[in-house]
Amino acid sequence: MNALIQDVRYAVRQLLRGPGFAITVIVTLALGIGANSAIFTIFDQVMLRTLPVQKPKELVRFEWTGAYSGSASSFGGDTGNYFSWPMYKDLRDRNTVFAGILAADRSSVGISWHDQAENKDAELVSGNYFDVLGLRPALGRLMTVSDDTAKDANPVAVLSYDYWKTRFTAAPDVAGKTLLINGHPFTILGVAPEGFHSAIGGYTPGVFLPVSMSDIAMPWTAPRKDLTNHQSIWLTLVARLKPGVTAQQAETTMEPLWYALRAQELTGYRTVSERFKDKFLNHTHLFVKDDSTGFNPERQDLRMPLLVLMGMVGVLAAMCAVNVATLLLLRAAGRVREISMRYALGAARSRIVRQLLVEGAVLGVCGAIAGVVLSPLIASVLVRIISNVGDQDQTPYTASVDLRVLGFTLLLSVAVTLAFSVAPALQFIRPRLAESLRQSSGTASKRSQLFRKIAVGFQIALTVLLLGGAGLFLRTLSNLRGQALGFQTAHVLSWQVDPTLAGYGDDRTAQVEMNVLDEVRAIPGVLQASGTTDPEIAGNQNGSNFTVQGHVAPEEEDMNFEIPCITPGYFATLRQPLLAGREFTAADVKGAPRVAVVNLTFAKRFYGTPQNALGRLIAEGGGSDVKLDTTIVGVVGDVKHQNLRDTPRGTVYRPYLQQTLPGGMELYALTDQSPETVESMIRERIHRLDSKLVVYQMRTLDEQMDISLANERALAFLAMSFSLLALLMTAVGLYGVLAYATAQRTREIGVRMALGAQRSAVVMLVLREMALTAVIGVAVALPAAFAISRLLTSQLYGVQPGDPLTLAACVGVSAVMVVLAAAIPARRAASVDPMLALRSE
Amino acid sequence: MSQNIIEIEQLTKVFYTDEIETHALSGVHLTIGRGEYVAMSGPSGCGKSTLLSIVGLLDTPTSGRYTLNGKEVANLNFSDRSRIRNQEIGFIFQSFNLIGDLTVAENVELPLTYRSGMPASERKKKVQEALERVNMAHRMRHYPAQLSGGQQQREAVARALAGSPSILLADEPTGNLDSKNGEAVMKLLQELHAEGSTICMVTHDPRFAAHAERQIHLFDGKVVAEGEMTQLLAEV
Repeated sequence: MNALIQDVRYAVRQLLRGPGFAITVIVTLALGIGANSAIFTIFDQVMLRTLPVQKPKELVRFEWTGAYSGSASSFGGDTGNYFSWPMYKDLRDRNTVFAGILAADRSSVGISWHDQAENKDAELVSGNYFDVLGLRPALGRLMTVSDDTAKDANPVAVLSYDYWKTRFTAAPDVAGKTLLINGHPFTILGVAPEGFHSAIGGYTPGVFLPVSMSDIAMPWTAPRKDLTNHQSIWLTLVARLKPGVTAQQAETTMEPLWYALRAQELTGYRTVSERFKDKFLNHTHLFVKDDSTGFNPERQDLRMPLLVLMGMVGVLAAMCAVNVATLLLLRAAGRVREISMRYALGAARSRIVRQLLVEGAVLGVCGAIAGVVLSPLIASVLVRIISNVGDQDQTPYTASVDLRVLGFTLLLSVAVTLAFSVAPALQFIRPRLAESLRQSSGTASKRSQLFRKIAVGFQIALTVLLLGGAGLFLRTLSNLRGQALGFQTAHVLSWQVDPTLAGYGDDRTAQVEMNVLDEVRAIPGVLQASGTTDPEIAGNQNGSNFTVQGHVAPEEEDMNFEIPCITPGYFATLRQPLLAGREFTAADVKGAPRVAVVNLTFAKRFYGTPQNALGRLIAEGGGSDVKLDTTIVGVVGDVKHQNLRDTPRGTVYRPYLQQTLPGGMELYALTDQSPETVESMIRERIHRLDSKLVVYQMRTLDEQMDISLANERALAFLAMSFSLLALLMTAVGLYGVLAYATAQRTREIGVRMALGAQRSAVVMLVLREMALTAVIGVAVALPAAFAISRLLTSQLYGVQPGDPLTLAACVGVSAVMVVLAAAIPARRAASVDPMLALRSE
Repeated sequence: MSQNIIEIEQLTKVFYTDEIETHALSGVHLTIGRGEYVAMSGPSGCGKSTLLSIVGLLDTPTSGRYTLNGKEVANLNFSDRSRIRNQEIGFIFQSFNLIGDLTVAENVELPLTYRSGMPASERKKKVQEALERVNMAHRMRHYPAQLSGGQQQREAVARALAGSPSILLADEPTGNLDSKNGEAVMKLLQELHAEGSTICMVTHDPRFAAHAERQIHLFDGKVVAEGEMTQLLAEV
């Protein structure tokens, strides 16, 4: 123990006596370990962490496959993740393997409390939600089955813990009080437990409301979220397995019930062909999947970028270890006599190895501590990027370090420390004592010089790999940003107003929205103003089945189209090209002939050309008895609607004013100057119209595009940061190796110059030292970069994996780094005074 | 048990570099008795430092026998040689070989820390005694860089003495010192010999070799002359 303390004391003293070296090593380790901890912080939260509920491993969720016809509303993922309310009730009441099944859906509601209104995320939940999750209230009581009975009969709410803390200032008497949800009074039952956000992963609602209140919570979606309709699917189902039952057993057990329920559901379809019936009944399956981490459709989007980033920081950690090993070996070269002397004095090998490991461990501990301090800073950048702008107070992700992250950091630090400490320890396993002790200065063995060259070559190879990845992500981001969307984002401002927050009934919502648009149009500098129920580049997808006159759709044909409801002037506001016919006008209201504008994809698919589409009839819904009541009056160009990678799908635009209870809109204003300049005027005009109207989510369409590109930006930004860091580390390692090698060859250089060598020849001598290493490193890296980049295909856009231009640029950047790192040692070598060099021996 | 601490018979050492064989030692015979003070001299490249390295177990012979304190040590493994060096041999080098990051006291204590089972209090006591013996106790908290060359070599002598070795091996101990400090170190070695220490010193300087009671002269890897100083001087 005494000896160990001595080793630690000696190691600390060495650090203090060589602060430059210590700082270089600790900063290198801090960056490598900090980057890993930061990415793991987010990776853990998104991918690994279980829901903070009772026995999360018992939770499963349902997913189905099979034919379907009806309306589907989702917040992400396939339709197969969603169920109708009647199906939910049947599954819940007729199974034998689950302790309980809950249903949930996401929504956004207007909440008024103490005359202050705001828009807030809400979760519509079945009455047994908290019971199935095994949660206890932080205050009051939680919702029970008795709170979710008849439709519209249960105006009760449970507050989330965070919302209660912030909006209700953690008031202890909040239970039993009333707040307004979309203008309707709801009684607060209690507060959900601290740390629990939602059964839906990554979602942070402010309130939990009973599903039975969906008409009030989501009035505009009421037709598509009908509690009695089997063909209206919109709910996520989560179940708790009975003790001892596995997910696989449950899936097998549920099979007969699922088929029986499908058969029962089929009876509700008005007209079906035999083929559809066969597909509906015989080609269907209900899956029971692990849900311990909570269903999170965004997880799929984040999974690959996070895996890529974990891979990149893993490479960075390996580079850190190699880099520090190289620096330690350089220092060890100057310690050959010291270590030999220790051996001469009788130190056993194990003792020397232990001492070198302790020295490495002290550096590792300092680096790990600095890394843990740095980690939240890097993680907060990532959280900021992946969280939607404006919603950062609602982000479920935190940048703070917890025990799991600390554990990961500890393991990583031990691995990195062992990796970089072993190299100098190995160097002294078989010392040549007599020779080392006689030399006037210690020098490194040929073996360690070779190791250093290999290490630098390895770092150059990894740098090319990282630069290759980062280059592809940068080009992807650039391609996504630079592509034609089908509409113009410049000078367009978007925002929302929820009239129900100001006490307007659902029947008056549309009129208030139109009044808002009139006010905005009157603002100087506003060229156009309009709105849509289905905003662009916001991840929204609202579809419905259509019947097209003259087109007999085969059973398997997808007749589901996007259905935005828009106001007059919408296409002019977004400068979306009108290819044929006309825009909607103020005359397209309820009672007037039903009209629609379709996009180019729709027109070409059914009519060949835009012109041919004009005057044709279509109808929402299917079946032989559907009434073709809507006339196509215009055709517009295709747009990227859901996101920037979207492939245009058939779209049927309908007049907002022709809809019954059309609900809230995303409003747009086209300005002749910077849109930010009219923000305050828009707020002022709306406030003047009605001071109770709250404007929220006001941002430019360019900002909206940034939000849509959050994952790509995070990936490109972090990948480039890590690559530059790797480049810097390699440059430091390369410089160190070359500087040492040059110093070792001072006499040789002196001799060469005494014999007439030019300075340029000496520079070449130094550069040649690393040129071969660099060439081998790049030669190894290029095929590896090509192979690995194929794994990134799903993350790329408009650029092929192994893109030669990108790889060539990476090699170019690496070559510049090699030359720059070699420049100082080469210059120093060229300035050697032959007389001094020869005399120094 | 023999009175000889070191008995070497027919010792050879061959270095192989690429295809070249260099015979550094060729059939050396040597004995050093307990309490003797032996100087090894000879021209550069004669093999004296190689012989001292083998005697000090820093290197191994190619062939021959080497007995240290009655134990055959020519073919010991690295670990056993380390242990015997620690317990039986004290080194004094031309370039001192002090560790710059350790204080004077810590440098002297270093060989004792490699000896298992010695309590810290005993180590401190031995360090104190060794430093007092070389008149360096007042400098124990200094670092080597803060000492003069002569003081550094006295510190190295203290380090060699601290473990109470059977023999002190000195390789050109005055090589890096001026004449005054060189004389002081030689005087110190003489005092140690007078107190009973066995010393084997390599030097190429006849003035310093004259301090020893027996001198061995090497040439081309062989002992070519050996005898009491008085006898050798008489022959000269």
